[in-house]
Amino acid sequence: MQAAFFEGAGQIIVKEVPTPQPSESEVLVRVHYCGICGSDLEAYQSGFYEHGMIIGHEFAGEIIALGEAVHGWSVGDKVTAEDSLPCGNCWFCKQGRQVLCRNLSITGVTFNGGMAEYVSLPVDILHRLPENVTTRQAALAEPLAVCLHGIRRSSLKVGDIVLVLGSGTMGLLMLQCAVLAGVRSVFVSEVNPVRASLTRELGAKAVFNPLEDNLVVEINALTDGLGPDVVYVCTSNSSAYQDALNLVRAGGQVFVLGLCVEPVPTDFLSLVMGEIDIQGGYLEHGEIPAALDYIAQKQVRVEPLISREIRLDEVVKYGFKELLKPDTEAIKILVSFEGGTP
Amino acid sequence: MKLGDKEYLQEVLKRSNADQAYRELAKGQFESYTLVLEAVPDKGINENIVLGFDCQDGEFIEVWEGSRPTMFTLTAPYGTWVDILRGKLGATKAITMRKLNVQGPILQLLKGANRVLRWVEILQTIPTEFEGDFAQYNLS
Repeated sequence: MQAAFFEGAGQIIVKEVPTPQPSESEVLVRVHYCGICGSDLEAYQSGFYEHGMIIGHEFAGEIIALGEAVHGWSVGDKVTAEDSLPCGNCWFCKQGRQVLCRNLSITGVTFNGGMAEYVSLPVDILHRLPENVTTRQAALAEPLAVCLHGIRRSSLKVGDIVLVLGSGTMGLLMLQCAVLAGVRSVFVSEVNPVRASLTRELGAKAVFNPLEDNLVVEINALTDGLGPDVVYVCTSNSSAYQDALNLVRAGGQVFVLGLCVEPVPTDFLSLVMGEIDIQGGYLEHGEIPAALDYIAQKQVRVEPLISREIRLDEVVKYGFKELLKPDTEAIKILVSFEGGTP
Repeated sequence: MKLGDKEYLQEVLKRSNADQAYRELAKGQFESYTLVLEAVPDKGINENIVLGFDCQDGEFIEVWEGSRPTMFTLTAPYGTWVDILRGKLGATKAITMRKLNVQGPILQLLKGANRVLRWVEILQTIPTEFEGDFAQYNLS
């Protein structure tokens, strides 16, 4: 089979390898679609994934073979998978904080992922797709689940005012999750006009361009001078992190989902004087079923986020390199495998 | 000249750049500011006034009316600005009391508080007309 291997910074190599055989507790999934994630892009630039792994943790497909000990699953089941496999035994797992597991396996990072024609997976991390969710849509269930995890971890309350910094895949999903959570208004900061336009379509009350607008002036005018209750940072752009501290209301929360791999100068005096909370969110655990249901119920729209489908052999040229262009208008690029059912 | 109009802004630029003490204190600072003078309708100030200043290494290189991205945004009701310009309320006290809201890396602003205080002294020398009920406090 063909698969995309991570071989270090700037090196994603597509090569032919033997199709994996499922162990007795695994199933073999024929992948239909696999998305390129922001963390894949960061790893491509910085090299922080394990070398020699098949990447891909946003994927969906169908089961084509079952291990001998697998029950309750059938060939032909359409599935997607959790992005990680916690040990279940460590202190964090026992506290219900599986994302912080001390022996965490991460799909496409520490074990082979779904940027391949086939992937063999333990059934513990599988989720069956609802009838009306396509594998193309389900490839976005994982990033949606991460956003749901973020909403749950953040201090957001019904009636709050929210600012989302950045409207790539995570920003656009976080925007929709915030609306679902019952916020009063969501504002978005985004430079790219195409993405900005999409944010309005997906429920943003107002969109600002941080290169042209004074966000403090604009947002204060819409919030009685208070600022947003929660600011979600959904970009790797380092300037957004200080912006978040400037913009959040006193006593509010900055919630970070973006993966910024540069040092960010931080004015902790602002944080102290404003009694501002900063919190982070990473991966997800157990939020995939909710994500799939929201997609099935059309309460979260993922199709508008899919910019294009490419072939596996195009993953670097038309995937990673396109998404790393500063002026890219692409949001989510999916690798489509032969036999995918749109 | 009227607080915040074009003539006033040009005078701020001229007097600030002519003040050696200010230039010395602000040397090495590369900052831009937005000042928001908030409307106080019941005292005759019906709209916000938004002003911008770009100060590079102690020299004001541009002033403008309206909203642009800047490093700092300082917001207060019109009357608070009048109190500061009259010397009735100190700028650092206004910040500490949160009568004057600073959004931006406040540490940088407060570490150079002397330049801020000197700048306020410069503004206090400008003959300034205030609007609405605040006209009684005009600076001559």
